[in-house]
Amino acid sequence: MNALLTTSVGSFPKPEYLTRARTKASKGELSPDGLRTLEEKATSEWIRFQEEIGIDILVDGEQYRGDMATYFAENIDGTEISGLVRSYGNRYYKKPIIVDELRRRGPISVDWFTFAQAQTKRPVKGMITGPYTMMDWSFDEYYGSRADACFAFAKLLHDEAVALEAAGAKVVQVDEPALSTRFDELPLLVKAVGIVTKGLKAKTVLHTCYGNYNEIFDYFNKLPVDQLDLEMSNSGLDLLDRFKREPLKKEIAFGVVDVHSHVIEPESLIRERIEKALTIFSPSKLLIDPDCGLKTRSVDEARIKLRNMVAAAHAVRTAHGLT
Amino acid sequence: MVRTTVVGTYPRIGETSEEQALRRGIARLDRGEIVEAELQAIERDTVRQVLREQNEIGIDLVTDGQISWYDSQSHFAGKLTSVETNGLVRYFDTNTYYRQPVVHGAVAWKAPVLADDWKFAQANSKVPVKAVLTGPVTLASLALDKHYRSKKALALDLATAVGEEVGSLVQAGASNVQIDEPILTRYPGDLTLVSEALERIRSHKARSTLTLFTFFGDVAAIYKDLGDAPADILGLDLVQGSATWPVLAKHGSTKPLVLGLIDARNTREEDPAAIAKKALELKGAVDLKASYLSPSNGLEFLPRDRARRKLQILRTAAQKAGVGA
Repeated sequence: MNALLTTSVGSFPKPEYLTRARTKASKGELSPDGLRTLEEKATSEWIRFQEEIGIDILVDGEQYRGDMATYFAENIDGTEISGLVRSYGNRYYKKPIIVDELRRRGPISVDWFTFAQAQTKRPVKGMITGPYTMMDWSFDEYYGSRADACFAFAKLLHDEAVALEAAGAKVVQVDEPALSTRFDELPLLVKAVGIVTKGLKAKTVLHTCYGNYNEIFDYFNKLPVDQLDLEMSNSGLDLLDRFKREPLKKEIAFGVVDVHSHVIEPESLIRERIEKALTIFSPSKLLIDPDCGLKTRSVDEARIKLRNMVAAAHAVRTAHGLT
Repeated sequence: MVRTTVVGTYPRIGETSEEQALRRGIARLDRGEIVEAELQAIERDTVRQVLREQNEIGIDLVTDGQISWYDSQSHFAGKLTSVETNGLVRYFDTNTYYRQPVVHGAVAWKAPVLADDWKFAQANSKVPVKAVLTGPVTLASLALDKHYRSKKALALDLATAVGEEVGSLVQAGASNVQIDEPILTRYPGDLTLVSEALERIRSHKARSTLTLFTFFGDVAAIYKDLGDAPADILGLDLVQGSATWPVLAKHGSTKPLVLGLIDARNTREEDPAAIAKKALELKGAVDLKASYLSPSNGLEFLPRDRARRKLQILRTAAQKAGVGA
């Protein structure tokens, strides 16, 4: 029985040698091939680590990405990349600028999926930055309509999803952290994600985080995916009561580890969170993962958080006779 | 000639090494390599740059770019009695985040927060520097209230605190004070509370000019009543809030306006002639000589080079509008 399967959301921290290499590459002091070799090394290390601790559904760790939207935009025709814009505190990112009709120049993330999948027999997720987030996080100098830009991204990201499936992805995840930005645009998001996932035989997942879930709750069952991946522990598991009253008709990947805290949750606390989730969700439809990508943690912190998470999931499986 | 102003924030860093000094400084402070006083010196260098850029372009009424603010909520509210700051929360519909103020008891003003920064900015600007504060109703709406259990009660106590702060700014010499209430674009029904709160602030303004600014959306539903709010000037986002325009064009305004016609959330460049033409549509209905043209909201959502370009477009548009005004 597949019960309480463990997985991750997407990103892992980059090891120091890769961070240094990226800085050198940005100054032209390291060739693209030289950087690629180190990105592959880091990806392989994370694949091995996930296998070693017993994660069931793996991710490639996004060692080759800076920002999730910028990485996709850099590989799509019709875009430029802006100067730095502030997110919060001392964190800045470069935003895509849509300057022409958006076109998929070729595979965006398929190559990295193939590289990662070749190193493990366990399934690796194909990862797509969703069309609504791509639109919302881009400047638009071409379409002049948020809906038009969103659908243009959706169409080319559908081709990417099909290519990931053709390359062997059994799970395709669409990341939509911007989902809760404008509640009046939720119908647009549902339609756009539907374009991306249309006709896929792979299991489809939508990840979102750090939004007002109560405002978007009514849309959870309308999202055209098989599984929702939600940050739960940062918000104190306060959605569980609502899920009890209004059941989710999909699988849920349930975030049990806070990715923005240096505090290492002990296995016992994570077990408690899983037990609470089990009071609402059936074990075959409940997956266990961190709240979000772990890239803002140190490598050591991320590893310990993941180890504790997997140990807790295994302990709960055993306690419930689910192995 | 129609005058020009900005709304508040300005991009803290740009692409050149000099323009990245603040980012490096904060990172060095985090690593313990410099102390607070050294970071403040870097912040002030950045404020000088920001003022120089606005002065060189020819903006008539500038700000210090709110360079020392961590965000629009915690910078002021976090320094009041009984307020702590908590985790990150998304700021309206932007991809930016603020540290949420948590109210544990009765809030009260302790000491000036902005006056020193304002004095420094004014000493380094060729034109008047506007003091900008987040309004009490927006502060109350975005805070986590564990004490009052009433938005109105919290907002009115915050208004008293904002009023004290305005008093300290006026005493320091500020002749232009702006209160931002973007929450009105989400909850237009809060206008009565905003007006009540502004009454408390107005009593501290002395002879300074008080502007009420709303952004991140339209105020069409309350536009006619907004004119009665106790402020000298009204600031409007007419880009994301373009739905306000037909009501504004129909009813005009008895008060001078800040017309936020330049899109501060997108890099697409406006045609200055088209902006000027749009402003001149209000001729006769609005006193354009007493009004300003501006970006639609603070400029920190744009890269630094694009923000500069937007201000150049703004200035050119104002010059072109001046011919007809």
